Amino acid sequence: MTNTFAETAGKTALKTRISQAWWSLSVACLVAVIGLLFAIFAFVLARGLPALKPSLLFTPTQGIAGGLSNAIVGTLVLVVIGLLIVIVVGIGTAIWTVEFAPPGMKRVIRFMVDVLAGVPSIVVGYFLYVALVEEAGWGFSLIAGALALAIFMLPYVVRAADVSLTNVPRALKEGAVALGARPAMVVSSIDLPYALPGILTGILVATGIGLGETAPLIYTAGWSNYMPTLAPTHSPVGYLTYVVWTYISQPFEQSHQLAYAAAALLMIFIFLTNLVARSFVEYRLNRGR
Amino acid sequence: MATLEMSAGGVAKATSPSALQRKISQTLLRALTGVAALFSFAIIFIMLFFLLVYAYPAIRFNGWGFFTSPIWNIGNQYGSGVATRNGFSGAPGAEFGALVFIFGSVLSALLTMLVSVPLALMVGLALVYRIPRQLRPIANALVELMAGIPSVVYGLWGLVVLVPWISNALAPWVTSHLGFIPFLGGPTGSGTGLIASVFILSLMVIPIMVATTRDVILAQSNAIFEASMALGSTSWQAMTRAVLPSVRSGIVASIMLAFGRAIGETMAVLMVCGSAINAFPSNIFSPVNTIAAVIVSQLESALTDATGMAQRSLAELACTLFIITLLINVIARAMMRGADRREGRGHA
Amino acid sequence: MIVTPQESAISTATKIETKNLEIFYGKFHAIKNANLAVGENSVMALIGPSGCGKSTFLRALNRMHDLTPGARVEGQVLLDGTNIYASGIDPVTVRHRIGMVFQRPNPFPKTIFENVVYGPKIHGLHNRKKLLEICERSLRGAALWDEVKDRLDRSALDLSGGQQQRLCIARCLAVDPEVILMDEPASALDPIATSKIEDLIDELKKLYTVVIVTHSMQQAARISDFTAFFLMGELIETAPTKSIFTTPRDKRTEDYITGRYG
Repeated sequence: MTNTFAETAGKTALKTRISQAWWSLSVACLVAVIGLLFAIFAFVLARGLPALKPSLLFTPTQGIAGGLSNAIVGTLVLVVIGLLIVIVVGIGTAIWTVEFAPPGMKRVIRFMVDVLAGVPSIVVGYFLYVALVEEAGWGFSLIAGALALAIFMLPYVVRAADVSLTNVPRALKEGAVALGARPAMVVSSIDLPYALPGILTGILVATGIGLGETAPLIYTAGWSNYMPTLAPTHSPVGYLTYVVWTYISQPFEQSHQLAYAAAALLMIFIFLTNLVARSFVEYRLNRGR
Repeated sequence: MATLEMSAGGVAKATSPSALQRKISQTLLRALTGVAALFSFAIIFIMLFFLLVYAYPAIRFNGWGFFTSPIWNIGNQYGSGVATRNGFSGAPGAEFGALVFIFGSVLSALLTMLVSVPLALMVGLALVYRIPRQLRPIANALVELMAGIPSVVYGLWGLVVLVPWISNALAPWVTSHLGFIPFLGGPTGSGTGLIASVFILSLMVIPIMVATTRDVILAQSNAIFEASMALGSTSWQAMTRAVLPSVRSGIVASIMLAFGRAIGETMAVLMVCGSAINAFPSNIFSPVNTIAAVIVSQLESALTDATGMAQRSLAELACTLFIITLLINVIARAMMRGADRREGRGHA
Repeated sequence: MIVTPQESAISTATKIETKNLEIFYGKFHAIKNANLAVGENSVMALIGPSGCGKSTFLRALNRMHDLTPGARVEGQVLLDGTNIYASGIDPVTVRHRIGMVFQRPNPFPKTIFENVVYGPKIHGLHNRKKLLEICERSLRGAALWDEVKDRLDRSALDLSGGQQQRLCIARCLAVDPEVILMDEPASALDPIATSKIEDLIDELKKLYTVVIVTHSMQQAARISDFTAFFLMGELIETAPTKSIFTTPRDKRTEDYITGRYG
């Protein structure tokens, strides 16, 4: 090792310049990736927004074109019913994990839920296709589609609920118990309200995902050119992502317009859900939790 | 039911619910939530079991040929008679070999990781250390938004923008200027194919890894960075040779999870892969196919198979994909848990 | 600020000194007009109540404040007469010659060997044989060699707190610095580990110049040749250790030493 600044300066200057070069490259990568993101946004909105005439929202798809009303309602119905299932099962799972599970089981359940998050959506869809549409003979149906979405959204809600419920301060719960509340009361009056923001965020995240899914629905909900009936079985349901997928492959310009419009609508829905979820997080932080 | 009574001293005294009421409430709550938990726990096993049972005839019918044969043929639907192997029947001439699809899935996922991992690390580092503090929430929001774009929309953009660009600009340029490099020369194809799939998959996978890299770096205390700087390193050396290695397992786990996502991705790949059947890619512009994409694209034709063997073979494909992603996930999660201790974080 | 001249007959050259050093964190004036000279091969202890700025002062000596956004350093820090804050001087070179050991041991999650040779490696030395030599030399210099020579390839995190801190010292020695800065190196350790570190410092000063921040006056009295007392960002008094604890010149120094505040 040399002992004066002059002697080490040459080598160091090179290393410092190399360091700066790498940092510049990293910023370039960031810009490139965000740039592509904007390109995709811009593309979808530029082609989709003009195609989004108000009439579109009230007419159903008809053959190669038409409107999106059946798809919009279909998407909403599928997601809402899926969410209902997921809320009950997901929060229930989280409550059991936090309150009642022996320590070993806690790890196991959390592990299984994490693993569930990694199952490809097509596998879930195909399973339900084989099980419900074919074997049980229900045909393309609302239930199958909602279940497909539910299974897929479940891990996100369970995880969010799990974390939020774990963070409920013990002092609060003990206070309630000391006042004589029954366990169910403690859960409903203490735990859930406290954990609500976190749970809601999880639900919103799951919603964003559910809105955008296609693969699990193709062979469960099928496709319908009509508004969804409320029949749980034997009645296929249309949804927005299907429009994007199939209508872009048609050789007709009107079909393409519809696909872009559906894509734009989807992006708007998802963007809104994201926004609401984020402001929830802000709200919770600002309230000093 | 709690009631309040005023005792002599004026202090309100609450009568608590009886022990029995408490017991009932507890048991009920435990039972109901336990059922929910059971469902969450069991659903994976239920799905796997069901698919395996359903696919069993195909597993026997196809044998090992499923993994070694590149031919996917549902057989002659118009003739009569059936072909029988190992006790199960398919249409005559039917052969269900998944090699092309397995190869396609693995190859596109591997190439995707090759491209995305360095990019995601770079972007993650830039996001944490080069973005001015005020801009950081916006940048984070953008990354999350990117992760939320539906795969069909990625596919849409891919089909309408990326694919024509590849076939009109990228492919001709690469094959003429770099064609001497293996796999970069040869026919330019129509734009759909391996490179398009890898591009789109990378876009989908990078935000996931960036989010994890960012979280994992931020959670790590500053001590390692300072220690490296005090020893006379440049800031880039400190990041890449001290900080990142100290969070290596978190990053590796996120890489594995991203890999699992890339292998399982369906719609976006379906729209840009070219849906190759019975053919391997000859260069990066050739059409490919993945297990996930083929399950969707082949189902209609499979429905025409009266013997049902085609559908069961698709189920066998679904099982294969399921098991591959399960393995990847289990290994990744197990790694994440062991590593926290080894890297000096958290409790044993 | 009061400076008591050295009573030793041997005059040692000044290795590192500060002139009119001012340090700001944003608007907060953390160090005001500090002038301190440290002789070669001596141990200078920095004492003072919590929050007085002694760690802040220490970090200025190897330009660690460059890493803190919002921190500003004015004045001069001279190493062998050259101002390390002069424009054109790369802080990376400064840290080759002035090393630092932190309060909490912060070994990298790597093997013991990899930890010690990290410095030489990033400076471009890759010859395995030379690295092993440096590793042994540094570990001996940190009085850790005998304890770890058979497990150089085991994780550094398996060592006890005291051993980890000596490992950090070895890591620092491996880059062959001239000055070693120590920021309360023993405060996170038990008494036995602490005394091992103190013995080590006594050995280190034969080859290096040591500046050590300590919150324990007893420690300062045990190991240092000179002591500087800081209070609320000001350097109040500098003196040979022997005299500052028995006959402090400034009333504030006396108040601190007798325990009126701390």
